[in-house]
Amino acid sequence: MSVSAKNFQHWLSSVAGTMSHAAVCRAAGIKRSTLAQQMVRGRVSLATVAAVSRSLELPVVISLAAFPAFQDLASGIKAPTQAEALSQISDTDLLQEILHRQAAAESDSAPQAFALSDPHHRSSVRAWLDAVDTSDLRQKLARQASIAPQNLSAQITANRLTAELAIESARIAGVGLTNGLVATGFLTPSEAGWPDDARQQALRKVADSGLVLLASHRLEILGRALRRSEDDTAAVQNIWENLG
Amino acid sequence: MTTVLQFAALIACLACTAIRFPAMRRGRNRSLFWIFAMASLSVGLSIHAIYMPVDAVLGGINLANVALRVSLFAVFFLLASKVAAAYNSPLARAMVRGPVGIAVLVVCSAGIWISFFLSTKGPSSTGLSALADEPALTAYAGFGMAYMAYAAACVVVPTARATFARRLFLDRASALSMCIGFILVLATVPIQLLPEPNNTLLQGCSFSAVLFVAAGLALVWLSYLRGTKRRRAAI
Repeated sequence: MSVSAKNFQHWLSSVAGTMSHAAVCRAAGIKRSTLAQQMVRGRVSLATVAAVSRSLELPVVISLAAFPAFQDLASGIKAPTQAEALSQISDTDLLQEILHRQAAAESDSAPQAFALSDPHHRSSVRAWLDAVDTSDLRQKLARQASIAPQNLSAQITANRLTAELAIESARIAGVGLTNGLVATGFLTPSEAGWPDDARQQALRKVADSGLVLLASHRLEILGRALRRSEDDTAAVQNIWENLG
Repeated sequence: MTTVLQFAALIACLACTAIRFPAMRRGRNRSLFWIFAMASLSVGLSIHAIYMPVDAVLGGINLANVALRVSLFAVFFLLASKVAAAYNSPLARAMVRGPVGIAVLVVCSAGIWISFFLSTKGPSSTGLSALADEPALTAYAGFGMAYMAYAAACVVVPTARATFARRLFLDRASALSMCIGFILVLATVPIQLLPEPNNTLLQGCSFSAVLFVAAGLALVWLSYLRGTKRRRAAI
């Protein structure tokens, strides 16, 4: 989740010219001490690169592509597939669409359009991986990135995925390289090169059956997560009840 | 070293008793107050400087040691049933409070009293260490050890399970600390069964066990106090 400080320095001087570190940090809204620490350690986080890039109004993907590890990122941009775009629509938006379609069917009119919420929803990483998974994506990813499968699934459960892993998954699945970064919330859909209404279009195109099945699948995942968290809370409450 | 550990354990128990006092007044988990009050008594009575005068008052025939054992039994009975309930282990709770657990407790308590009265009443001696070996005294020590080991064994598994469960760090740390304490209690059994019992090691184990369990409970209280900041999952 980082680039070498040397490369960062090189990139910064090429895009920001003679701007001081202090000015760069102020514009990007990052702490000076954070950047200084990252420079001393020799690794600069991608979040820093993205923040600086946004403050200079440079496309984040182009900035990242300046670093050796992400060279093919810009050329790897592809519009999301239907499943990918749907995966970045939140559970509640899917339910909302079902209600709108039902209301439209009753009143015999076109379904009402509504603004979709943030693509980085509460299970966006898992939903995206499910959408692009052909067969054993997770195993292949863990093997290629040499990360323990349980660390990978811990990240997915926490709705996180490092940028390297997100890009690597997209590479394995053969989809647009920036698409995973949308799911992790690192990039906005437009930064990732998605058409502005990609998600709206996907939602409009999906058949009623597909929509309902997707929503029910999401609700099942949500229900499991909620039950787990309720069980955990109950266990802790029980300890407090007896020993607190 | 042993003295330092003994006094550390005594101070920890007294501190916990004091901390539990307001909750006891309010009627919240009263038994925890009594657990620590009796644990303080037991630890105090195993310290030479406290044991001798107390035993002198009780007649100088080591009745204070019987008091120590009995209060330890009470501590272990109450604590083990509380911990088993807290870590949601019906099996452990049944083993402690159920017919089997009560039977073990009754047998061990009766054994303590009977073997004590059968033994030759020696002069006052902390931990009975200065008394001559005789079968009644061996049985006396055996009964004392047996119940504590039994109760500790019942709750080792539930606390170990909670240590590895998906919980916040504080909750796991408290379970781990208690688990280590109970394992140390179990460890005193092989140490006492050794042909040449190592007293320093034995006392080190016992008093560290007290410290670990007290620390574990203190962490539970800390977690309880901070509990309002817990994450909540909403739909």
